[in-house]
Amino acid sequence: MRRTLTLALVILTAIVLQTTVFADVRLLGAKPELLYLVTIVIALLEGSSSGAVTGFACGMAQDFLLNQPKGITALTLTLLGYAVGVTSQYIVTQSALVPVVMVALGTLVGVLFNRVVALLLGQAEASAYFVVRIALLSAVYNAILTPIFFPLIRRLTQASTKQRVGRW
Amino acid sequence: MALRSRPRSTRLLVVTLVSVSLLTITLDYKEGDSGPLAGLGRTALSIVAPLQEGVTRLTRPIGNFFSAVTQLPSLRDQIERLQDENAQLRNQRVLSVSELHQLETLKHLADLKASLDPPSTGALVIGSGVDNSEWTVEINKGSSDGIRENMPVFSGTALMGHISRVATNASMVRLIIDPNSKVPARLDEANTTGLLVGQGEEDLKMLGVPPATKVSVGDTVVTSGYRLEGQPTGIDPPGRVIGTVSHVGGGGSALEKDITVRPAVNFSTLDDVLVVLSTGSG
Repeated sequence: MRRTLTLALVILTAIVLQTTVFADVRLLGAKPELLYLVTIVIALLEGSSSGAVTGFACGMAQDFLLNQPKGITALTLTLLGYAVGVTSQYIVTQSALVPVVMVALGTLVGVLFNRVVALLLGQAEASAYFVVRIALLSAVYNAILTPIFFPLIRRLTQASTKQRVGRW
Repeated sequence: MALRSRPRSTRLLVVTLVSVSLLTITLDYKEGDSGPLAGLGRTALSIVAPLQEGVTRLTRPIGNFFSAVTQLPSLRDQIERLQDENAQLRNQRVLSVSELHQLETLKHLADLKASLDPPSTGALVIGSGVDNSEWTVEINKGSSDGIRENMPVFSGTALMGHISRVATNASMVRLIIDPNSKVPARLDEANTTGLLVGQGEEDLKMLGVPPATKVSVGDTVVTSGYRLEGQPTGIDPPGRVIGTVSHVGGGGSALEKDITVRPAVNFSTLDDVLVVLSTGSG
């Protein structure tokens, strides 16, 4: 219960930050993708099933605030959370660079996947050049934000799972 | 035991979540803007809107301070911009005088008073769209203030976008630079109409202008007030400034002139906006 609440709070904060503060603070015209960041970080910290559930929640939250067909981002982030969770099992190094690199790669692949699905559903009108540019820029932006958000989210989730009950 | 059951249950979970996502995509695709999912979206918007308004009111002064600091080295740019704006305003005044005459004539010709002088409501920009692929902002007024979809929104006197989604206490504005935005417009000097299409960060593209038209850089582009096909409401009030021509290309062999238009609105500093409550009855 406490976990769900913490997670909901993290997602809500990410959405509000994404649409207010980071709408004004752009990197060469691109906003960060904070919900991708949250999904990847949780997947890294807690594994594939947590990643998938968080991704699903993040995606649904974002989709219902967007004007495009609902469910695309949920689909993207569910798969992204799962994939990052699975990949993290094979990473043995404890380097602090791991989250940064994973966030950058995950965001890049996730945004591209999202745009391709939107394109298949007839929703994307932007050019390929623009899509790739935005995917790269938001990946870099997310990577820059990781050193700030990773410890923050880790502390929040650890505080809420002091007494581990379930394992989702 | 737990170790062996874990991958399978995780896989099941992921398959379930993916299925739910796909189901949502399909349902939403079929329902369009009227179904319960769209209703849920509006509810989500009205829950987040007050939070966004709070954060925006809190952080905007800070943001303004920092952007002022970064603008210090480019004071010359700023002066240039102000001069541009000054020229534009002067231009606009000349325009509005001629528009006034036109208005009077029209008013006499047909009883169009209501649609030409529609009521409007001021609103505050409280946030922007979530995603990088759309150019939208959120404002703190919604259906309870009489706002409906497709109504035109102005920043100062210039057109900045149209209402794309409405909740009770907030709404989304699709900016004219959004690739999905199409605005019927008129080249004021040449008196030729065309369609302005958004191109994201780049200047707007004006479609449908015959190659023989005399257009030069700096010409004013205004709203034509024409109705777009399939758009029952939300006619723009005619003769409002959208921007100025920034580039003219296309030789004699082209089917239409290649024109780009720089919007008069500075989209990075949107704050107070005006929604024209036009019902589009004309």
